[in-house]
Amino acid sequence: MSVGFIGAGQLAFALARGFTAAGVLAAHKITASSPDTDLPTVSGLRKIGVNFTVSNKETVKNSDVLFLAVKPPIIPFILEEVGPDIEPRHIVVSCAAGVTISSIEKKLSTFCPTPKVIRCMTNTPVIVREGATVYATGTHADVEDGKLLEQLMASVGFCTEVEEDLIDAVTGLSGSGPAYAFTALDALADGGVKMGLPRRLAVRLGAQALLGAAKMLLESEQHPGQLKDNVCSPGGATIHALHFLESGGFRSLLINAVEASCIRTRELQHVADQEEISPAAIKKTLLDKVKLESPSLSLASASKVSLFTSKSKKN
Amino acid sequence: MEASELWVGFVGAGRMAGGLARGLLKAGKVPASNILASAPSDKNLDAWQELGCRTTHCNLEVVHRSTLVFLATKPHTLPGVLEEIRPAVGPYHIVVSLVAGVTIQTLQRLLPPRTKVLRIMPNLPCVVQAGAMVFSRGSNVGDEEAALLKSLLSSCGLCEEVPESYIDIHTGLSSSGVAYVYLFAEALAEGAVKMGMPGALASRITAQTLLGAAKMLLETGEHPAKLRGDVCTPGGTTIYALHQLEKGALRATVMDAVEAATNRACDMAKD
Repeated sequence: MSVGFIGAGQLAFALARGFTAAGVLAAHKITASSPDTDLPTVSGLRKIGVNFTVSNKETVKNSDVLFLAVKPPIIPFILEEVGPDIEPRHIVVSCAAGVTISSIEKKLSTFCPTPKVIRCMTNTPVIVREGATVYATGTHADVEDGKLLEQLMASVGFCTEVEEDLIDAVTGLSGSGPAYAFTALDALADGGVKMGLPRRLAVRLGAQALLGAAKMLLESEQHPGQLKDNVCSPGGATIHALHFLESGGFRSLLINAVEASCIRTRELQHVADQEEISPAAIKKTLLDKVKLESPSLSLASASKVSLFTSKSKKN
Repeated sequence: MEASELWVGFVGAGRMAGGLARGLLKAGKVPASNILASAPSDKNLDAWQELGCRTTHCNLEVVHRSTLVFLATKPHTLPGVLEEIRPAVGPYHIVVSLVAGVTIQTLQRLLPPRTKVLRIMPNLPCVVQAGAMVFSRGSNVGDEEAALLKSLLSSCGLCEEVPESYIDIHTGLSSSGVAYVYLFAEALAEGAVKMGMPGALASRITAQTLLGAAKMLLETGEHPAKLRGDVCTPGGTTIYALHQLEKGALRATVMDAVEAATNRACDMAKD
């Protein structure tokens, strides 16, 4: 089986790195393409032995499983460009936040009657094989196609199938989740430094504490509330600290964050479905690069393509 | 000592004392005729007489005619009462103080040496036999007396022996804690009224909701966080409401309340 990545950014790199480290796929069976050869991830991909090309068509030809690893605004361009080359054997996996299966199927169906589409939401820790991934299968994707993807993604972390309507919530929770954790870790380290620890040690200990806690929770039958209680000796240090967290509305902040990310994802999808947005909304250099590689796209057709207005670069 | 042979006296006949007595009677632990209560006026004593207990205006009489003596006066009157009854207190007496803020050390100081002294902190629902009580023993109390007290008072609710340092915490958690629940209940009902439900119905449903939730906690032994999770269907009404509670930092506020009451109890005890 060969895997291709349209896009050679953070996501493609993280997945390629994870797959090869897991031994589930040899590097030479992976192809990645991007018009932008200056990306730091491009050299990273080359280093691990992935075939890099500037031609998306080449990636499609050399893949059975095709990951669309570009930013959501670029998806429509990509689909226009590679649509003609999609064959019944291809499994098209979109990792783009907020892009629905139906929007992808609609675009591809002008080229291919029964495109196999799977929508996937993963997260950056796939790079260290501790990713959290969910997927939803499209109309023409079989159970085996889903299982194939699941096998791939399970090699780089946790992977399970869900109904598509849950994917935005997953984005809010585990898609954005690592960012919440990095923020927390940065702050925890600050706390350590304030109380006298050297920065490096503080970061190391903070990260290990969260890693250990997460591992305990995953391996335990107990409720996190119970695990928390187990740490809090009466009148001790921890309960004093927790009181501060509660006073600051720690829990509600986290709930707010997940909610905000999920709602934003839905907003972006809404905007995408509107289908009539000017190309001026995309960063011009990006659009130029994409058009350079897609001679089939005229300016006229580009202006009718559905796009996001968002300036956000990540999920 | 058999409970039925016990002569129980109450110095002070207020709500809390009455609640304990009611519990003892309901559980059939002590016959009413074996209970004697004293108070300065008749105001509180009528209720005791209706139960079939005997009453008096003389504290000394209570001590003379009882083996188990509950001290249930207000804190400021206790020193005077102790001075009064001290001559009548003997080694066979078991003295149990319900008086808030008065330590075992103080009690032992004001009573004859070698007196068996215990200190108990009940809460209001003792009056309906659903109380939460903790008690601590003084230096002269053995396991037999402690076990007797525990067995007697379990008729009024939960009764646990604890180190004396926990008594102030119990005050903040459970004695005052009952008031927090009443406040919460009022607010719940008010929310329902705002949404269109008649007040009386809202209040009845509120009380039953609290009762039911507490019963589940006690009977399942599950962690409250788990029970909470069990009620929260994804994207449902409960999780939306809980988010509001978290936004209001309810948890921290409640912790603050328990802390404030406990600290206040400590401070008052020092006075």
